[in-house]
Amino acid sequence: MKRIFSIVGWILVAALGARALGSIALHRGEPLNATWFVVAAVCCYMVAYRLYSAFVAAKVLTLDDTRATPCERHDDGRDFVPTNKWVLFGHHFAAIAGPGPLVGPTLAAQFGYLPGTLWLIAGAAFAGCVQDFVILFCSIRRDGKSIGQMAREEVSERGGFIAQLAVLAIMTILLAVIGLVVVNALKSSPWATFTLAMTIPIALLLGLYLRFVRPGRVLEASVMGVALVLFVVVAGQWVADSPFWSRVFTLSGVALASAIIAYGFAASALPVWLLLAPRDYLSAFIKAGAIFSLAAGILFVRPQVLMPPLTRFIDGTGPVFAGKIFPFCFITIACGAISGFHSLISSGTTPKMILRESHARFIGYGAMLLESFVGVMAMVAACAMPPGVYFAINSPPSIVGGAGDAAAATISGWGYPLQAQTMTDLAHKVGEITLWNRAGGAPSLAVGMAQIFSNTIGGERLLSIWYHFAIMFEALFILTVLDAGTRVGRFMVQDLGARFWKPFGRTGWMPGVLLSSAIIVALWGYFLYQGVVDPLGGINSLWPLFGISNQLLAAVALVVATTILMKMGRLKWIWVTLLPMAWLVTITMTASYQKIFDANPRIGFLAYAKALAAQIAAGKIPTESLAETQRLIFNQRLDAGVTGVLAAMILVLIVEALVHWYAILSRRKESALHESPYIATCWAADYSGASHGDD
Amino acid sequence: MRHAAKSASRFLRRFWRGLREWCGDAAYESYLRSKGRRSSSCRTLSPAEFYVEQLNRRYSKPNRCC
Repeated sequence: MKRIFSIVGWILVAALGARALGSIALHRGEPLNATWFVVAAVCCYMVAYRLYSAFVAAKVLTLDDTRATPCERHDDGRDFVPTNKWVLFGHHFAAIAGPGPLVGPTLAAQFGYLPGTLWLIAGAAFAGCVQDFVILFCSIRRDGKSIGQMAREEVSERGGFIAQLAVLAIMTILLAVIGLVVVNALKSSPWATFTLAMTIPIALLLGLYLRFVRPGRVLEASVMGVALVLFVVVAGQWVADSPFWSRVFTLSGVALASAIIAYGFAASALPVWLLLAPRDYLSAFIKAGAIFSLAAGILFVRPQVLMPPLTRFIDGTGPVFAGKIFPFCFITIACGAISGFHSLISSGTTPKMILRESHARFIGYGAMLLESFVGVMAMVAACAMPPGVYFAINSPPSIVGGAGDAAAATISGWGYPLQAQTMTDLAHKVGEITLWNRAGGAPSLAVGMAQIFSNTIGGERLLSIWYHFAIMFEALFILTVLDAGTRVGRFMVQDLGARFWKPFGRTGWMPGVLLSSAIIVALWGYFLYQGVVDPLGGINSLWPLFGISNQLLAAVALVVATTILMKMGRLKWIWVTLLPMAWLVTITMTASYQKIFDANPRIGFLAYAKALAAQIAAGKIPTESLAETQRLIFNQRLDAGVTGVLAAMILVLIVEALVHWYAILSRRKESALHESPYIATCWAADYSGASHGDD
Repeated sequence: MRHAAKSASRFLRRFWRGLREWCGDAAYESYLRSKGRRSSSCRTLSPAEFYVEQLNRRYSKPNRCC
């Protein structure tokens, strides 16, 4: 009887999900209520988790709870710590959820709400969650080895090397692009700049407290820190209202980029307890609070989605970034659907803390579903504002013709009515000087979030506070990724340098620390600067590069997963990882080709360089802008070169994998798995973690 | 009524413990417990030493994603 109820219940969930998806896909004309998005996403996630992840767990991976996991075998109270599955879910989710699932869907909303939403839901269920789950499982079976180590052992030395290079490439481009998002969010905004600047002394204060006053008391320090951060969000209004302080905190793009570069260097070179870790604590609490509040706000306000399901920009002429829906929608939304970077977390800390193999399904698959839901909420927030306002905020001046009446006329001409006065009023309401041309995704997401929050609490009176709270939330955790990433990049550079000169690899040797920090900061700093001075807004070229490098890493992870499944003798199930891998390779290669060779200067790097060179040759560039234009030409060629290298890496990896698979299938090579030997668990079946098991 | 209050109190206790574990507040206690389980001859670190050592390890590999 219970079974029948269960089956009927799941049929109802599936039917409700199908009905909601149908409403989203087929709705035309009147605005659509955002509740449909939430219902569609939640029902699809429930069905995917109940059926597909259970199938992967039982048939493909055959999880074994009698097997001791790494934390039982190596329990050291440091890296290998038996952790309750809910706590570990929180850890894993906090680690994988970065700015990607917020910014990507916001940018992809230029195609309309439909393509991005469908990709977020389907991509997560069939690709992203599977990748995270399978890699987590593989790492658990190998004592928590990293994706690079697994690629080296299970595929080939070259596969491991490509994985390492991909990590460095993605790190460099990621840090540049998220730095650019922060610059565009803070540009000409004294309130937001002051708020974010003040988080640095607050973090330093917490760092000293946690180191010398109450070592390791993270919770009480975080409560104090969050209270101080909320206070400076409110205090920012006084700064914006003061003529003197407002001038001090009104910075240009280049000045902000320089400040962020200096901050990245300091965070990498200073002791980790002083600045980096306390900022991370602040960011984790504010991130969790803001995401939860956004979900609650969407359910409470149930906003109307004003963006059409598909816009005219599916043809590739979009003002936010150029390129057709295929492949650029799937490149723009990387995190939220599938992100290669997750494979670093799934083969990093999480496998060393997991209690049982069966928890990998809940943590690996489940946390990615939640991240996808964050992406859907960002899509709703971006699409809940009038499309004209969305395009006014996200389009660079070179596309819409600056700001004011001329720009409003351009956007209205696209079929999205907008009056310049609307933008002036909105900027005034959110406490900004202007909202025109604030590309990067963060300001438009903040406007969307602020409208949802203010409709829940405070009304229009609090719109400016909510807007700056949303900006602070986005910028704070973007900078947390930036400083943590710079530090990890520094270690990678030191590791690489040590091959040539041993002392360089010593992490405590100050000249080595300073030099390696300078190298990694210079790498991403250059791309950031290039994005800031790019007349097309920077996001146009940098975000696709980031998407390509992220999906490259996902392809590496899925190649490793497919190889391991093959070696485990699960040949008939390898489509589970092979199909997402084939899809990723297809979109990545198509996007790379178009970004390099497309004849449209807004898409193809080389075409843009050629167009600029032609303008110089025709004498159309004034003498004072000549040097800058030549630098732009160099940058476009550099971007083309980087994209070419990434594409070549994918090709080499695929050829490498095909040769390896052929050797395994034709039995020319021994298909030896590099799993740790089986050891039976000694833990009771109901043991739920170190402290949780104590009661 | 008493049963409900007891359940709620148990839930709150577990939630509090989970929150402390999630944010790292209980890391030193975990370390001491683990050290107790393994009869290791290594010196036990002080809370301040453990805190710094743990942060240095955690932030030397990717732990925050895009």
